[in-house]
Amino acid sequence: MHGFEEISLATLSSMPSDTLDRLPYGVIGLSSDGMVQIYNATESKLAGLPAARVLGGNFFHNVAQCMNNFMVAQRFIDEPEIDTVIDFVLTLRMRPTPVKLRLLQSETVALHFVLILRTS
Amino acid sequence: MSAELEDQVTELLQFLYACPVGLAELSADGTIGMVNPLAMQLLLSIASDGLVTNFFRVIESYSPELRHVITAFEAPHGTVCEAHRIFVHAGGKNGGADPLVLACTLVKLDDQRFIASLTDISKQMVQERRLKQAETWFATLLDSVNDFAVVSLDRHGIIDGANAAAAKQIGFTQDAMMNRPLDTLDTPENGSSSYSAHEQIAIAQRDGWHLAEGWRKRPNGERYWCQRLVAARSEDDDSHPRMISGYTVILRDVTKKGSDSAKLKEMLTTDHLTGACNRAHFFEVAERQRLRCSLQGQPLALIAIDIDHFKQVNDGYGHATGDAALEAVATTCKALLRTNDTFARLGGEEFAVLLPSTDMAAAVRLAERLRTAIGALSIQAGEKALTITASFGCAVSTDSKPSLSELLAAADALLYVAKRKGRNRVEPNDCFAESLADGGFDGFAMAADHPSGRTDRGIYQ
Repeated sequence: MHGFEEISLATLSSMPSDTLDRLPYGVIGLSSDGMVQIYNATESKLAGLPAARVLGGNFFHNVAQCMNNFMVAQRFIDEPEIDTVIDFVLTLRMRPTPVKLRLLQSETVALHFVLILRTS
Repeated sequence: MSAELEDQVTELLQFLYACPVGLAELSADGTIGMVNPLAMQLLLSIASDGLVTNFFRVIESYSPELRHVITAFEAPHGTVCEAHRIFVHAGGKNGGADPLVLACTLVKLDDQRFIASLTDISKQMVQERRLKQAETWFATLLDSVNDFAVVSLDRHGIIDGANAAAAKQIGFTQDAMMNRPLDTLDTPENGSSSYSAHEQIAIAQRDGWHLAEGWRKRPNGERYWCQRLVAARSEDDDSHPRMISGYTVILRDVTKKGSDSAKLKEMLTTDHLTGACNRAHFFEVAERQRLRCSLQGQPLALIAIDIDHFKQVNDGYGHATGDAALEAVATTCKALLRTNDTFARLGGEEFAVLLPSTDMAAAVRLAERLRTAIGALSIQAGEKALTITASFGCAVSTDSKPSLSELLAAADALLYVAKRKGRNRVEPNDCFAESLADGGFDGFAMAADHPSGRTDRGIYQ
């Protein structure tokens, strides 16, 4: 139900924060202008940043410049409806880390989401 | 960890995550240990296979000379290179957002550790190039004030004045030059890659001035290397600010005293190992040729060349043998090309040939000649003599007027088809292969045919 590839946008945006925190993968919820609204505990641990430091800031500029490209950030601008999983390399705590990213966006839900699952 | 220490670690991480310069820590073989997001973003945009684990591997295909720089650096620690320019022209995946030029600084900490910084300097480069050009040019102009040629053009580009030096340099009398367009007198060599007066005027109209250089021939047949500056003159009047009233053209014959500038030009435009045109210069020339061929309705052919199993040559016989193979291939190919064709080294063992006004049939014939010539080479590796082969992909711009990166991507894709089909072969694009099957073309003849509609110089012989 709440697996990385199954969980729906609706479930994510209505989930209480303590449940979000228990998910085994990173969850980042962004407003339409790219500001971080949701940052769960798993992601906070992976990136080494407390949620309080990230919430309200611009995700693709302050934290994840490596995703600020045509593969991730640009897709949220270009495609109104997205549900896709891609292989990617993040720099969590400055270590190149292979991950799977799930990008979720829909016109019916205010927030769009990046889910991050470590693959090694 | 104490709460205070933890806060400090967090701050450090945030600092590095948001850092506007790419940073990476590397082991001696280039394996990336630590890397910040911006470095990853820049490397991802240029990694040919989307894989970023080894810094040298990603950079190698754009800046093969960096390997020499690193191996030549013998000191136990210190700055290996500072703001070394890497011309990537990734052009394509990210569209206009792709970097064109990166500056890389590499510091050796000890035998096992390097730190690299990466910055996208595409925008500065364009500015800087223009400024440097102007600076050098005006400086040399002042040194030889007495012998520069000045021609004045009206706003339609027609000559309305010329000094005596101009008449001497171009080879017509001052009177004969009046009321004629500059291009009829001061013409770049046929088919050369330098700008026509018409093109220069168009750019001067937009930017205020433009500087170009190229070979010229005087009426008596003498050949000289000419630098030509076209500057727009504007007369401000109240109703039309910055209205262009005409152009001033300054011409300089730099053949005689130009040894320094010729050397500088060679350093900036050629690959130091093979003498082939380098990547940065190739893109400049190719873009100009593409525009010109497209305006003239002429096809433009591009052949992508890659030496087969080159890694095995390097690994099995050492880099010196690999380098000798690269040099031999470059020398062989250049000898078979016409003066207006461009032969360039794009990366490691990857070359490209640009053939203006050439259709697919002629491009395939040339590629076959190059393939045969490379196959006949004998590379000395110690006691042994190696033979090598290469694979070829041929693409031709058509009515659809592809961009340069599309043309290069098409040639590259065909090159990989040639590799998959067993290497040592030439792969033309699909529609041409079909016409071959229809009997539209009688095999890969080795005859010295020339592409139609151009002055041939018999270089394909």
